[in-house]
Amino acid sequence: MLSCLDLERPGRWRILLIGAVALLVSTPTLLLLRRGLEGELLGKLFWGNALESSLGLAAGVAGASFLVGWPLGSAAALYRCPARGFLLVLISLPLLMPSFLLALGWSAQSLATGFPPHGWLQGAGGCLVSFAASGLALVTLTALAAAGAIPENQREAARLFGGERALVRNTLRSSRAPAALAALLAGILTLSDPAPGEIFSQRTAAGAILESFAARNDLVLASRQSAALALAALALSLPLLLASARGHLRLTLAHTPRKASLRLVAPASAGTAIGFLCVSTLLMLPAVGLALPLWHAPSTSLAGAFEVAFARASDTAFDSLGYALGAGALAAGLALALAAAAGRSARLQGAVLALSVLLLAIPAAAPALGLAALAAAAPGWGDPVLRGPLMVVIALGLRFLPVAALLMLRAWSSTAPAWFEAAALHGISLRAFAGRVLLPALAPGLLLSVALVGLLSASDVVAVLLLHPPGRPSFALSIFTVMANAPETTVAALCLVYGVAAGALVAAIAGRARALNRT
Amino acid sequence: MSPVPGHPRLRVFYAAAWLAALLACTKSGERVVVYTSVDDVFARPIAEGYEKATGVSVLLVPDTEETKSTGLLNRLIAEQARPQADVFWSGDPMRVAVLARKGITAPYRSPAAEGLPSAYSDPDAQWTGFSARARVLVYHRERVATPPSSVLDLLDPRFRGQACLANPLFGTTSMHAAALFVALGDERARAFFEGFLENGGRMLSSNGEVRRRVAAGDCAIGITDTDDANVARLEGRPLEVVYPDRDGIGTLLIPNAVALIRGAPHLEQGKRFIDFLLSPEVEAELARSAAAQMPLRPGVAVPDGVPAAQSLSAMPVDYAALAPKLEELSMGYLASWAEKAARAGE
Repeated sequence: MLSCLDLERPGRWRILLIGAVALLVSTPTLLLLRRGLEGELLGKLFWGNALESSLGLAAGVAGASFLVGWPLGSAAALYRCPARGFLLVLISLPLLMPSFLLALGWSAQSLATGFPPHGWLQGAGGCLVSFAASGLALVTLTALAAAGAIPENQREAARLFGGERALVRNTLRSSRAPAALAALLAGILTLSDPAPGEIFSQRTAAGAILESFAARNDLVLASRQSAALALAALALSLPLLLASARGHLRLTLAHTPRKASLRLVAPASAGTAIGFLCVSTLLMLPAVGLALPLWHAPSTSLAGAFEVAFARASDTAFDSLGYALGAGALAAGLALALAAAAGRSARLQGAVLALSVLLLAIPAAAPALGLAALAAAAPGWGDPVLRGPLMVVIALGLRFLPVAALLMLRAWSSTAPAWFEAAALHGISLRAFAGRVLLPALAPGLLLSVALVGLLSASDVVAVLLLHPPGRPSFALSIFTVMANAPETTVAALCLVYGVAAGALVAAIAGRARALNRT
Repeated sequence: MSPVPGHPRLRVFYAAAWLAALLACTKSGERVVVYTSVDDVFARPIAEGYEKATGVSVLLVPDTEETKSTGLLNRLIAEQARPQADVFWSGDPMRVAVLARKGITAPYRSPAAEGLPSAYSDPDAQWTGFSARARVLVYHRERVATPPSSVLDLLDPRFRGQACLANPLFGTTSMHAAALFVALGDERARAFFEGFLENGGRMLSSNGEVRRRVAAGDCAIGITDTDDANVARLEGRPLEVVYPDRDGIGTLLIPNAVALIRGAPHLEQGKRFIDFLLSPEVEAELARSAAAQMPLRPGVAVPDGVPAAQSLSAMPVDYAALAPKLEELSMGYLASWAEKAARAGE
């Protein structure tokens, strides 16, 4: 049995626990990959130039998200500006939109505004913009969180030393590593998502895997391609992972519980506001593109469209929320185990990051089909679990575990070694220590993990399509299946209702987080 | 001592876990599970009609080709050992033929299929065809003066850089491509696809996208399905529709196809649903819907604007034989053509 002090000491249990979680989360994919790996390991992958173009796109998304999101998030952590909360909610919205909606919205918007049909904004550029929207949100929020953790006294010290310029320089330096990590994850996420590439007729590795799955029905080839893609992503991320293992990313995981106050510095605050406004306007363009058909629609058709949209939303609300919150809870729980196992060891934190990269790079369809096959092979009495909503929860929770893992690594770093030592000294059991001290201290991280994974899960369609119990789709899946031949006003109304619901959720979560910070 | 006292910050975490547990509850009662690749807006009213008529719940699991999901076909393949679905209602016979080749469907000769032409069904009764769509040319009224008459007109220099079609690796376009290879022969079909690219033709993501692009005037002409064309017509878009090749290879008809799943958990309910789907009433309802599907059974009333299938010069196709041809093309020529088309669009 572990004692409080064991959580601060090296031990074999750490590697065993990380290994167990890694095995658990990769089992569904391995079930599918096994068939691919049994045959020709180095067989033809049918990539063409797809991998090259995917890697280029991922680099572009990571670069663009980093270059814009890093300074923007850092500035938002330092300066107060008008409507800051609203703009932050606005900038977070693309995280909640399924990528195919962003791409379709951007495509519709660029058509409506008369961009040339072969113009870069409808080809590779369209793809980049669709992906960069969520990447930008991820990097901005990460930079904001990292820069926001710089305590008041350090800020004042920087100001005294070199004025506002020194403060900005130091803030940017401290948020650089976390922002780079978030940009890397945003880039890797693009590797496994085929939708924007398909919509903008760009050949990508995820598109090639989709062809193997959906056009050739060749699961063996698809699984081989998925494994190759994950390994390519891992190889690309190696420099960052090595830096992490050497402890260079400790700052990423540093955390200060007491937040510093924001200042109103005229030029900087105005610059922050203008930056936010420009970026959120750009990010809102796809949403405007999706809602365009509502603009010219007659009122009778509008009423019908919204009636359908509200009916779909209410029919699917319970399951959508259940899938999202369940996935959030599962991911947060597993992430807590990973964070506890990694502790303060830079090497183990690096191992968790490597696992995260691998998980993110594998297309969502691979583990989902693995779980479907597992359920089919199991005896019928397991159906309530294996073929119930819990399977969707498991697939989504495992899919977005990397996001929760990063948050929990950071939360764990906020605990002080002295707590564990004091508890051990006074003979307090681990159970009591966890209940009274550790879990309440980690609660903000857990809550944020549940919220972020929940929001990301709410916009997933692949795992839900492949695993949802018949008759119990999510709202995002409902839009996905309706949109093909439904009247454009209906699709627009569905997207609008989805966007408003997502925005309300983000606002509610942000409000709750503010309240928690105050207490 | 309670291990984790009710700290307010942890309540959300508990609530999430509780909700997930609650989700494990499942509905019971008489039901039939129907996987369908037919667009939700068209399939759902039919399913609701069956529920009203029989009191049996239809648990519909729809899919779409719109954004190229990995799809129900793979779900059915993954679930083969112990399926959840009773019935697969496909928007085209190719997907069902693939399932039949993998041993996922079970033969069923429905008594309700009487009157349906046998040419549109599997001879071994693995699947049965009914109401059909057609592959049609759509063009923008203001951008095309002289209507085209054949799919080969997409190579006409007057449509240089203005023609589009969906990715031929997916959906009904893949079936159309395979049918063209059979009807024209490999050499002429390849020449058509190569000529399309040489003429600046564009490959789009889906038939719905073809409809949107032509309706917006971004493309002058494209190939799509009748249901897409009809939705655009109902929305008052400036689109005209041509049933191509009446005097040549004929217009490709794409019947719906329904199959019973081997090892279906509700076998009898599945058979009853198939009987219902093959009835003249459902053919009439699909004709009246926005999908404007053509009844294959002679004598079923069709509304204005929907031609009777018998009035068209249909392309003679052995639907069951198209699946292996498509498989061969998807691994070879069409895959490299799609890559070339994507590169041309970059």
